[in-house]
Amino acid sequence: MSQGILSVTPVFLKVWQRNARVFITLWKFNFLPALAEPVLFIFVMGLGIGSYINEMEGVPYLEFVAAGILGSAAIMQATFECTYGSFFRMRIQNTFEGIISTPVSAGEVGLAEVMWGATRGLVNSSLVLLILLGLGILDHWQAVFIPVIMFLAATNFAALGIIVTTNIAQMEYFRFYFAGFVLPAQFICGTFFPVSRFPEAIQIFAWALPFTSFIDITRSLMLDRFSSSLLPEALWALGSTLLLSELAVRSMHHRLVT
Amino acid sequence: MIIKASSLHKRFRDVVAVESLDFEVGRGRCYGLVGPNGAGKTTTMKMIYCIVRPTSGSLQVLGMNVLDNPREIKARLGVVPQENNLDPDLSTCQNLQTYAKYFGIPGPTASKRCHELLQFMHLADRADDPVPALSGGMKRRLILARALINDPELIILDEPTTGLDPQVRHLIWDRLLDLKERGITLLLTTHYMEEAQKLCDEVLIMDEARAVDSGSPHELIRSHVAPYVLEIRADRALTHDITARFDYLEHQTSGQNLYFYASAASEFNELIDTYPAMERLLRPASLEDVFLKLTGREIR
Repeated sequence: MSQGILSVTPVFLKVWQRNARVFITLWKFNFLPALAEPVLFIFVMGLGIGSYINEMEGVPYLEFVAAGILGSAAIMQATFECTYGSFFRMRIQNTFEGIISTPVSAGEVGLAEVMWGATRGLVNSSLVLLILLGLGILDHWQAVFIPVIMFLAATNFAALGIIVTTNIAQMEYFRFYFAGFVLPAQFICGTFFPVSRFPEAIQIFAWALPFTSFIDITRSLMLDRFSSSLLPEALWALGSTLLLSELAVRSMHHRLVT
Repeated sequence: MIIKASSLHKRFRDVVAVESLDFEVGRGRCYGLVGPNGAGKTTTMKMIYCIVRPTSGSLQVLGMNVLDNPREIKARLGVVPQENNLDPDLSTCQNLQTYAKYFGIPGPTASKRCHELLQFMHLADRADDPVPALSGGMKRRLILARALINDPELIILDEPTTGLDPQVRHLIWDRLLDLKERGITLLLTTHYMEEAQKLCDEVLIMDEARAVDSGSPHELIRSHVAPYVLEIRADRALTHDITARFDYLEHQTSGQNLYFYASAASEFNELIDTYPAMERLLRPASLEDVFLKLTGREIR
């Protein structure tokens, strides 16, 4: 019997609902702190440093960096949720072991966690999108597709987070993951300046990370710029997200059912 | 048969957790697994509720193979795990409703059932309390209520009364006997032999991953120990003296305690007359005597 996404039934939504219910109960602790980082980025990078930079790639700096701030808001929230959040539910509260003692399967818990992390990323980046709208820098109608891209980017990092969470022995290993991968990804993927500034070796590495594609697609939508490179980028963004989600679901199964 | 295990094995890497286990549990029975910590009881239970996969052998639960039909099996079980895994971010009632959803029980039915179960477990006035506000005994009762949400045919209880005060323990025993009367099958582990003796129709004694013996508490006592036990508390010198003099009586030593076994209480008369001042207790043999005899009195 397959233990991947194909084995998942809609009952996984009940586990997603459980997380949503807890989130709503604790909303005060959940919304505001998560928004602090993107808002700070808008002020510091966009309005602060941005006032010293005339333009980047032909647009005012705030308009350039907006895609990076949105993307960061999505992936950081998804990452926190599916690392510390999921680890806490799995190992400290034993929530998952309880759930899989009911007809829900371990793979369903895995997909629910990934989808929940993605939801949190979507919620967070949508709030940032509203702030950007308020600042008057969303000029093009294509911006309505941005939440879809944000949801996929958040899914990508949520799945990666679950893969890490289900494979580490203790919570301290998250520090390596954050310092060694999440933070560098947040900065080198074309978030705050173009990837083309880097030496070629680093450019290749940056484009290998799907996050670079997510940022580039978002920026293209915001600035109404389209090129033929967007198709392979979209395929890589979508394909890697599906692959990581499949691995996350399998990894959760192997962690919980021994 | 509700549970049928044959030549059941479970190995975790190099550790053998369960080896060559054979047992059957019939409908409406209360079956107990007892044994020292690490004997393989919890692993056996986890294989039954399908979160640990047997390495070899066969395990049928409710007529289905645990490897082939975990979802169908779990839909008809109730599980009380050893560790508390209530949701601390939800209220008492929400904990039950959340589980009802996992079983696909529709909202109105779930609310009704939640209300009934909280009554049944004497928690009705705590329905809206957050879980961290509940005492240890209340949490345990809530976990039992949660295990009943799907009206299960088999309930698996891993040390349901460990660490509870006598009042709560008696309440839980009463409830378990109620459930048994309704025809629900119970499988439980416990470290309290009094509990096993009181609740179980049949007990399986496990040690070091294997079954040591099984039978009704009464049969086990009859076949392994003499019906009367004289417990004596004595220092080393006195212990030595007594055991040398009464070597012909069956006995065991454990720390400062001496246990003599006999088929009639009168066999102890001479011993008691010789040491009239010693601290002693004459009692019928219990399942605890069988347990300690079969698994040793020493701590491992």
